[in-house]
Amino acid sequence: MTIVTGKAEARRKLQPGRSGVLRNIWAHRADYAYVLPAIAVMLVVIAYPIYYTIELSFYKTPPGLQLRDKTFIGFDNYTTILTSEVFWKVTWNTLVWTFGSTFISFVLGFATALALHRDFIGRGVLRAILIIPWVISAVAASYIWKWIYHSDFGIIGAVLVGLGLTDRPPNFIDNVSTVLPSLIVVNIWREFPFAMIMMMAGLQTVPDQLLRAAKVDGANAWQRFWHVTFPHLRNVSVVTILLLAVANFNSFIIPWIMTAGGPSNASHIWITHIYELAFGRQRWGVASAYSVLLFLILMTLGYFYVRALSGNERKEGGA
Amino acid sequence: MAHVVLKDLVKTYGNFKAVNDVSLTVNDGEFVALVGPSGCGKTTTLNLVAGLTPITSGDIVIGDRVVNDLDPKDRDIAMVFQNYALYPQKSVYMNLAFPLQMRKLPRDEIDKKVKEAARVLDMTHLLERKPRELSGGQQQRVALGRALVRDPAVFLMDEPLSNLDAKLRVQMRSEIKRFHQDLKATIIYVTHDQLEAVTMADKMAVMNGGFLQQYDSPAQVFAHPVNMFVASFIGSPAMSLIPLEISTANGGTVLTSAEGWSLGLSPRNVQKVTKATTKKVVLGARHSTIKLHKSAVPGSIPAKVYTVEPTGDVTFVQAFLSGAIVNVSVPPNIAVTPDERIWLEFDQERMHLFDGETEMALEAS
Repeated sequence: MTIVTGKAEARRKLQPGRSGVLRNIWAHRADYAYVLPAIAVMLVVIAYPIYYTIELSFYKTPPGLQLRDKTFIGFDNYTTILTSEVFWKVTWNTLVWTFGSTFISFVLGFATALALHRDFIGRGVLRAILIIPWVISAVAASYIWKWIYHSDFGIIGAVLVGLGLTDRPPNFIDNVSTVLPSLIVVNIWREFPFAMIMMMAGLQTVPDQLLRAAKVDGANAWQRFWHVTFPHLRNVSVVTILLLAVANFNSFIIPWIMTAGGPSNASHIWITHIYELAFGRQRWGVASAYSVLLFLILMTLGYFYVRALSGNERKEGGA
Repeated sequence: MAHVVLKDLVKTYGNFKAVNDVSLTVNDGEFVALVGPSGCGKTTTLNLVAGLTPITSGDIVIGDRVVNDLDPKDRDIAMVFQNYALYPQKSVYMNLAFPLQMRKLPRDEIDKKVKEAARVLDMTHLLERKPRELSGGQQQRVALGRALVRDPAVFLMDEPLSNLDAKLRVQMRSEIKRFHQDLKATIIYVTHDQLEAVTMADKMAVMNGGFLQQYDSPAQVFAHPVNMFVASFIGSPAMSLIPLEISTANGGTVLTSAEGWSLGLSPRNVQKVTKATTKKVVLGARHSTIKLHKSAVPGSIPAKVYTVEPTGDVTFVQAFLSGAIVNVSVPPNIAVTPDERIWLEFDQERMHLFDGETEMALEAS
């Protein structure tokens, strides 16, 4: 063994002019060869589109697909965006949408997880039922909720009128002031099971002995939750919230299918707005600039996500 | 401190009786070990005393109160767990302070008690650390400290040393023993390690299958096991148990083996075997009470060496005898080889006789 390694080492030393990094790559050439196909695919389907989007964001583009006729305009697209009123409206909507959905989904999911963590008859069935919103197609869910909210035929309106609470069915999604909250409700309904599953998994890792110790120490149910369960779930909470935030920031299906951003941009969020700019109005340059900004924001969130994941390990190992 | 009384304690899970009519009294300041193999009901019994598991029937008295329906926090107990169960995000100081905070003690009193406990357990320098920055032994000491600050009526310890390595376990064993002596604390200590029970406890309660087998001082349990289970569980290496039959030879009572040899009995032992319910009797002998001979002497029985285990101070010889394996200890200077023919001589005074049917010890009235 040693002799063979020694020979290989000697042969490597005979090849002059290689830097440390290259030599390292060469030493692991088989490993690199294995991941090369994946890297090639990633370059084509991810790296190139990102590059092209960034490039387009600096150009004025003609409508249609004659992108060869584009003209370089520097940061004009960015100035256009940042000075437009719609941008601030959409950004506000996106913030409300993202933080509202994320926060309420998380709280609701956590509460459900806590409730389902107790042992009771029918727990399994209830758990399965609660996961349904998350597993059905978002498109189907959007259409169902569109009907539920419908101002003439919607079941909510019918029930409210039937109970005599209102004379006319309320207008949920054709109304500038109620459309966004109504969509957020749908989004929460759809994604709280995700938070529930994550938190249920986390709850199962809370050491039973620790809870017993707290019980003997005199902690009541709330104190056991606050001093044992909740600190133990801190990391899984951070990860869940970040994943929800990224998913919500990227939401498209529900707002697009239910209202397509209307009425009068009241339910437009960044993604639907970008989509409409690009594929509706064919303003490729502006849409690209929007995408670049969104990319930067998501990368920042991603950074915190990775830090939350690896920060945990660092704490375990170091100190 | 206080005494603890368990009276006809029963815990059932469906049809399974985990704890079966256990009754025992732990006197004030006594160190009692609940010992037995896994699943014998010892931890369940401890949890019943702690109030972490509701009892099915029976009574638990701590001090002068029946605590059957009280919450753990109202039973005036403190518990030490196998995995230490320290709050990982809290410093050692806050871990020690936690039970006092839950009791809403004033801040300066908490501080006084925590520092006093830290001083007693020699861990003042560790107060600002987090549990993960401590060694296993230190963590267990913090767990002891957390029990100590409460000044409880009873300390309940659930295999507190099982997670430590062998060397540390011996060290912590004497620390806990010292802790008991200094505090005159009433301690109920669960362990599966009979050595821990024997070395630390004032009294040991040997359990098996949910039943209390014997409750006595370690010396008494060791010298007079009530049945074959206790005999084989307490002591290391285990007591050798050899199944034999009662018969008569030359007008005297002897024990015969299926292998053909027979063993004469002293008058006292004859008295014992007459109490047996059937002809079947089991002879029990500890390794140190059996003499090994290289050649036949009167009263000795031929056997064949199976394995030889030198440990330094003493060499353990395992021999085949009448279908059972017999442990014998010999001085290390005696050379014995596997498959060698040897002769064993049993000490009539120190041998144990059990009823082959009921497995109970046979006593001369």
